[in-house]
Amino acid sequence: MTKRILSTIAFLVGAASAAPAQTATQTITFQVDAINQIAFSGSPSLVINTATAGSNPTGATAAATWAVTTNQTGAKITASIGSNMPAGLTLSVDLTAPAGATSAGFQALSTTSVDLVTSMTKLAQGALTVSYSLAATPAAGVVSSTTRTVTYTITGGT
Amino acid sequence: MFAVLLLISGRATAAQTMAVSGNPGALHITTAVPGSQPTSVSNNTTTYTVTTPNANKTYRITAQINANMPTGVTLTATFAAPAGATSIGPVALDVTARNVVTGVPKSTNSTQNITYQLSATAAAGVIASSTRLVTLTVITP
Repeated sequence: MTKRILSTIAFLVGAASAAPAQTATQTITFQVDAINQIAFSGSPSLVINTATAGSNPTGATAAATWAVTTNQTGAKITASIGSNMPAGLTLSVDLTAPAGATSAGFQALSTTSVDLVTSMTKLAQGALTVSYSLAATPAAGVVSSTTRTVTYTITGGT
Repeated sequence: MFAVLLLISGRATAAQTMAVSGNPGALHITTAVPGSQPTSVSNNTTTYTVTTPNANKTYRITAQINANMPTGVTLTATFAAPAGATSIGPVALDVTARNVVTGVPKSTNSTQNITYQLSATAAAGVIASSTRLVTLTVITP
Protein backbone atom coordinates (compact mmCIF):
# COMPACT_ATOMS: atom_id res chain seq x y z
CA MET A 1 0.00 0.00 0.00
CA THR A 2 2.79 2.41 0.93
CA LYS A 3 4.57 1.65 -2.33
CA ARG A 4 1.41 2.43 -4.32
CA ILE A 5 0.98 5.87 -2.68
CA LEU A 6 4.58 6.90 -3.39
CA SER A 7 4.20 5.99 -7.04
CA THR A 8 1.15 8.20 -7.35
CA ILE A 9 2.91 11.16 -5.76
CA ALA A 10 5.90 10.85 -8.06
CA PHE A 11 3.67 10.93 -11.13
CA LEU A 12 1.78 14.04 -10.02
CA VAL A 13 4.91 16.00 -9.17
CA GLY A 14 6.28 15.30 -12.64
CA ALA A 15 3.15 16.70 -14.25
CA ALA A 16 3.22 19.88 -12.18
CA SER A 17 6.83 20.72 -12.98
CA ALA A 18 6.16 20.76 -16.76
CA ALA A 19 4.79 24.34 -16.86
CA PRO A 20 2.55 24.62 -19.92
CA ALA A 21 2.95 27.42 -22.42
CA GLN A 22 0.36 30.14 -21.89
CA THR A 23 -1.16 32.04 -24.77
CA ALA A 24 -3.31 35.03 -25.58
CA THR A 25 -4.70 36.09 -28.93
CA GLN A 26 -5.50 39.30 -30.76
CA THR A 27 -7.37 39.80 -33.99
CA ILE A 28 -5.73 42.21 -36.42
CA THR A 29 -7.88 43.78 -39.12
CA PHE A 30 -6.12 45.33 -42.08
CA GLN A 31 -6.89 46.86 -45.45
CA VAL A 32 -5.12 48.58 -48.34
CA ASP A 33 -7.18 51.01 -50.38
CA ALA A 34 -6.72 51.95 -54.00
CA ILE A 35 -3.89 54.47 -54.13
CA ASN A 36 -3.18 56.75 -57.10
CA GLN A 37 -0.91 59.67 -56.33
CA ILE A 38 1.13 61.95 -58.60
CA ALA A 39 3.28 65.00 -57.99
CA PHE A 40 4.93 67.47 -60.31
CA SER A 41 7.75 69.82 -59.39
CA GLY A 42 8.97 72.97 -61.02
CA SER A 43 7.33 75.91 -62.79
CA PRO A 44 9.10 76.03 -66.11
CA SER A 45 9.31 79.13 -68.27
CA LEU A 46 9.36 79.04 -72.05
CA VAL A 47 10.45 82.02 -74.13
CA ILE A 48 10.63 82.19 -77.91
CA ASN A 49 12.95 84.93 -79.02
CA THR A 50 14.58 83.95 -82.28
CA ALA A 51 14.18 82.20 -85.58
CA THR A 52 16.20 80.86 -88.40
CA ALA A 53 15.58 83.15 -91.29
CA GLY A 54 12.98 81.64 -93.52
CA SER A 55 11.63 79.32 -90.82
CA ASN A 56 9.07 79.61 -88.08
CA PRO A 57 10.32 80.98 -84.76
CA THR A 58 12.58 78.54 -82.93
CA GLY A 59 10.65 76.60 -80.36
CA ALA A 60 11.57 76.64 -76.68
CA THR A 61 11.82 73.71 -74.31
CA ALA A 62 11.91 73.29 -70.57
CA ALA A 63 12.01 70.38 -68.17
CA ALA A 64 10.59 69.45 -64.81
CA THR A 65 10.11 66.24 -62.90
CA TRP A 66 7.22 64.10 -61.80
CA ALA A 67 6.55 61.09 -59.57
CA VAL A 68 3.82 58.51 -59.31
CA THR A 69 2.52 55.80 -57.01
CA THR A 70 -0.30 53.50 -57.99
CA ASN A 71 -1.30 50.14 -56.61
CA GLN A 72 -3.83 49.52 -59.34
CA THR A 73 -3.61 48.02 -62.82
CA GLY A 74 -3.87 50.16 -65.95
CA ALA A 75 -3.85 53.62 -64.41
CA LYS A 76 -3.31 56.58 -66.74
CA ILE A 77 -2.40 60.25 -66.63
CA THR A 78 -4.14 62.96 -68.57
CA ALA A 79 -3.48 66.69 -68.78
CA SER A 80 -5.28 69.86 -69.74
CA ILE A 81 -4.86 73.62 -69.38
CA GLY A 82 -7.33 76.10 -67.97
CA SER A 83 -7.72 78.09 -71.20
CA ASN A 84 -6.59 77.44 -74.72
CA MET A 85 -3.32 78.86 -76.00
CA PRO A 86 -3.34 82.01 -78.14
CA ALA A 87 -3.76 81.35 -81.86
CA GLY A 88 -0.46 80.26 -83.41
CA LEU A 89 1.06 79.12 -80.13
CA THR A 90 1.26 75.47 -79.17
CA LEU A 91 2.25 74.23 -75.73
CA SER A 92 3.08 70.54 -75.69
CA VAL A 93 4.19 68.19 -72.96
CA ASP A 94 5.82 64.78 -72.83
CA LEU A 95 6.01 62.63 -69.70
CA THR A 96 8.68 59.98 -69.42
CA ALA A 97 6.84 56.77 -68.63
CA PRO A 98 7.60 54.79 -65.49
CA ALA A 99 8.69 51.17 -65.82
CA GLY A 100 6.22 49.08 -67.76
CA ALA A 101 3.99 51.99 -68.76
CA THR A 102 3.54 53.73 -72.11
CA SER A 103 4.14 57.40 -72.90
CA ALA A 104 2.14 59.06 -75.65
CA GLY A 105 5.07 61.36 -76.40
CA PHE A 106 4.58 65.10 -76.91
CA GLN A 107 0.92 66.04 -76.83
CA ALA A 108 -0.47 69.53 -77.50
CA LEU A 109 -2.34 70.88 -74.51
CA SER A 110 -5.78 72.45 -74.59
CA THR A 111 -8.82 72.62 -72.41
CA THR A 112 -9.63 69.08 -73.48
CA SER A 113 -7.82 66.40 -71.51
CA VAL A 114 -5.32 64.33 -73.43
CA ASP A 115 -3.72 61.03 -72.45
CA LEU A 116 -0.02 61.31 -71.64
CA VAL A 117 0.87 58.01 -69.95
CA THR A 118 -1.14 54.82 -69.95
CA SER A 119 -0.83 51.25 -68.67
CA MET A 120 0.70 52.12 -65.32
CA THR A 121 0.46 49.08 -63.09
CA LYS A 122 1.36 48.76 -59.41
CA LEU A 123 4.46 50.93 -59.24
CA ALA A 124 6.13 53.69 -57.29
CA GLN A 125 8.65 55.75 -59.21
CA GLY A 126 10.03 59.25 -58.90
CA ALA A 127 12.48 61.58 -60.68
CA LEU A 128 10.73 61.11 -64.01
CA THR A 129 11.18 63.80 -66.65
CA VAL A 130 8.52 66.22 -67.82
CA SER A 131 9.41 67.94 -71.09
CA TYR A 132 7.55 71.07 -72.20
CA SER A 133 7.72 72.52 -75.66
CA LEU A 134 6.42 75.86 -76.89
CA ALA A 135 6.04 76.43 -80.62
CA ALA A 136 4.86 79.57 -82.44
CA THR A 137 4.11 80.60 -85.96
CA PRO A 138 4.89 84.10 -87.27
CA ALA A 139 1.15 84.64 -87.37
CA ALA A 140 1.04 84.41 -83.59
CA GLY A 141 2.78 87.74 -83.42
CA VAL A 142 4.23 89.05 -80.19
CA VAL A 143 2.72 87.52 -77.09
CA SER A 144 3.48 89.13 -73.76
CA SER A 145 4.30 86.98 -70.73
CA THR A 146 1.36 84.85 -69.79
CA THR A 147 0.76 81.67 -67.86
CA ARG A 148 -1.17 78.48 -68.11
CA THR A 149 -1.76 76.03 -65.31
CA VAL A 150 -1.45 72.45 -66.46
CA THR A 151 -3.72 70.08 -64.57
CA TYR A 152 -2.54 66.49 -64.44
CA THR A 153 -4.97 63.80 -63.43
CA ILE A 154 -4.27 60.20 -62.59
CA THR A 155 -7.13 57.84 -63.18
CA GLY A 156 -6.98 54.54 -61.37
CA GLY A 157 -7.32 51.31 -63.21
CA THR A 158 -8.71 48.17 -61.71
CA MET B 1 -2.89 11.09 0.89
CA PHE B 2 -5.48 13.85 0.63
CA ALA B 3 -3.10 16.49 1.98
CA VAL B 4 -0.39 15.56 -0.49
CA LEU B 5 -2.72 15.93 -3.47
CA LEU B 6 -3.79 19.45 -2.40
CA LEU B 7 -0.18 20.56 -2.17
CA ILE B 8 0.63 19.36 -5.67
CA SER B 9 -2.44 21.03 -7.11
CA GLY B 10 -1.31 24.38 -5.65
CA ARG B 11 2.05 24.21 -7.40
CA ALA B 12 0.47 23.45 -10.77
CA THR B 13 -1.51 26.73 -10.85
CA ALA B 14 1.65 28.82 -10.51
CA ALA B 15 2.35 28.72 -14.25
CA GLN B 16 3.21 31.73 -16.36
CA THR B 17 0.30 33.64 -17.86
CA MET B 18 -0.28 35.95 -20.80
CA ALA B 19 -3.21 38.27 -21.41
CA VAL B 20 -3.97 41.15 -23.79
CA SER B 21 -6.10 44.24 -23.36
CA GLY B 22 -8.14 43.66 -26.51
CA ASN B 23 -7.88 43.98 -30.25
CA PRO B 24 -6.24 46.95 -31.95
CA GLY B 25 -8.18 49.14 -34.34
CA ALA B 26 -8.07 48.34 -38.02
CA LEU B 27 -4.80 49.03 -39.80
CA HIS B 28 -5.79 50.86 -42.95
CA ILE B 29 -3.40 52.07 -45.65
CA THR B 30 -4.97 54.83 -47.69
CA THR B 31 -2.30 56.98 -49.29
CA ALA B 32 1.26 57.37 -50.50
CA VAL B 33 3.80 60.05 -51.14
CA PRO B 34 4.05 60.11 -54.94
CA GLY B 35 7.08 58.12 -56.03
CA SER B 36 7.23 56.20 -52.76
CA GLN B 37 5.60 53.04 -51.52
CA PRO B 38 2.24 53.38 -49.77
CA THR B 39 2.46 55.06 -46.39
CA SER B 40 2.61 52.61 -43.50
CA VAL B 41 0.19 52.84 -40.59
CA SER B 42 0.56 51.74 -37.00
CA ASN B 43 -1.45 51.12 -33.86
CA ASN B 44 -0.14 51.15 -30.30
CA THR B 45 -3.36 51.11 -28.35
CA THR B 46 -3.15 47.64 -26.90
CA THR B 47 -1.09 46.08 -24.15
CA TYR B 48 -0.11 42.67 -22.91
CA THR B 49 0.29 41.48 -19.37
CA VAL B 50 2.74 38.73 -18.56
CA THR B 51 3.20 36.98 -15.26
CA THR B 52 5.83 34.45 -14.43
CA PRO B 53 6.08 32.16 -11.42
CA ASN B 54 8.71 32.24 -8.78
CA ALA B 55 10.71 29.53 -10.43
CA ASN B 56 14.41 29.88 -11.01
CA LYS B 57 14.21 30.33 -14.76
CA THR B 58 13.58 32.98 -17.42
CA TYR B 59 10.87 33.09 -20.05
CA ARG B 60 10.36 34.35 -23.56
CA ILE B 61 7.37 35.60 -25.48
CA THR B 62 6.66 34.56 -29.05
CA ALA B 63 4.16 35.80 -31.60
CA GLN B 64 2.75 34.27 -34.76
CA ILE B 65 -0.23 34.71 -37.04
CA ASN B 66 -2.62 32.05 -38.27
CA ALA B 67 -1.93 32.67 -41.98
CA ASN B 68 0.81 34.48 -43.81
CA MET B 69 0.18 38.02 -44.98
CA PRO B 70 -0.61 38.68 -48.65
CA THR B 71 2.40 39.14 -50.91
CA GLY B 72 3.80 42.63 -50.51
CA VAL B 73 2.02 43.29 -47.23
CA THR B 74 3.91 43.12 -43.93
CA LEU B 75 2.53 43.10 -40.40
CA THR B 76 5.20 44.04 -37.89
CA ALA B 77 4.86 43.88 -34.12
CA THR B 78 6.99 45.52 -31.47
CA PHE B 79 6.57 44.43 -27.87
CA ALA B 80 7.93 46.62 -25.11
CA ALA B 81 9.85 44.57 -22.58
CA PRO B 82 9.19 44.18 -18.84
CA ALA B 83 11.97 45.18 -16.47
CA GLY B 84 14.93 42.86 -16.87
CA ALA B 85 13.75 41.49 -20.21
CA THR B 86 14.77 42.37 -23.76
CA SER B 87 12.54 43.41 -26.61
CA ILE B 88 13.58 42.01 -29.97
CA GLY B 89 12.23 45.17 -31.61
CA PRO B 90 10.09 45.16 -34.73
CA VAL B 91 9.32 41.61 -35.84
CA ALA B 92 7.58 40.74 -39.11
CA LEU B 93 4.87 38.26 -38.23
CA ASP B 94 4.18 35.06 -40.11
CA VAL B 95 2.99 31.56 -39.31
CA THR B 96 6.23 30.75 -37.51
CA ALA B 97 6.38 31.56 -33.81
CA ARG B 98 9.02 34.26 -33.47
CA ASN B 99 10.59 35.71 -30.36
CA VAL B 100 9.40 39.20 -29.54
CA VAL B 101 10.64 39.45 -25.94
CA THR B 102 13.32 37.35 -24.28
CA GLY B 103 14.77 37.03 -20.82
CA VAL B 104 11.60 37.69 -18.87
CA PRO B 105 12.67 37.19 -15.25
CA LYS B 106 10.91 35.05 -12.68
CA SER B 107 8.22 36.68 -10.54
CA THR B 108 7.33 39.17 -13.26
CA ASN B 109 3.91 40.80 -13.34
CA SER B 110 4.09 43.48 -15.97
CA THR B 111 1.86 45.23 -18.50
CA GLN B 112 3.59 46.55 -21.59
CA ASN B 113 2.73 48.21 -24.86
CA ILE B 114 2.23 46.46 -28.21
CA THR B 115 2.79 48.36 -31.46
CA TYR B 116 1.57 46.93 -34.74
CA GLN B 117 2.64 48.37 -38.08
CA LEU B 118 1.17 47.56 -41.47
CA SER B 119 3.20 48.27 -44.60
CA ALA B 120 2.54 47.46 -48.21
CA THR B 121 4.27 47.83 -51.53
CA ALA B 122 2.52 49.23 -54.55
CA ALA B 123 2.86 45.78 -56.09
CA ALA B 124 0.63 44.39 -53.34
CA GLY B 125 -2.31 46.09 -54.98
CA VAL B 126 -5.63 46.69 -53.29
CA ILE B 127 -6.36 44.47 -50.29
CA ALA B 128 -9.92 44.13 -49.05
CA SER B 129 -10.51 44.14 -45.32
CA SER B 130 -8.93 41.02 -43.87
CA THR B 131 -8.02 39.64 -40.47
CA ARG B 132 -5.22 37.68 -38.88
CA LEU B 133 -5.19 36.05 -35.48
CA VAL B 134 -2.03 36.83 -33.53
CA THR B 135 -1.11 34.25 -30.91
CA LEU B 136 1.19 35.37 -28.12
CA THR B 137 2.85 32.68 -26.06
CA VAL B 138 4.98 32.89 -22.94
CA ILE B 139 7.21 29.91 -22.57
CA THR B 140 10.45 28.83 -21.02
CA PRO B 141 13.46 28.90 -23.34
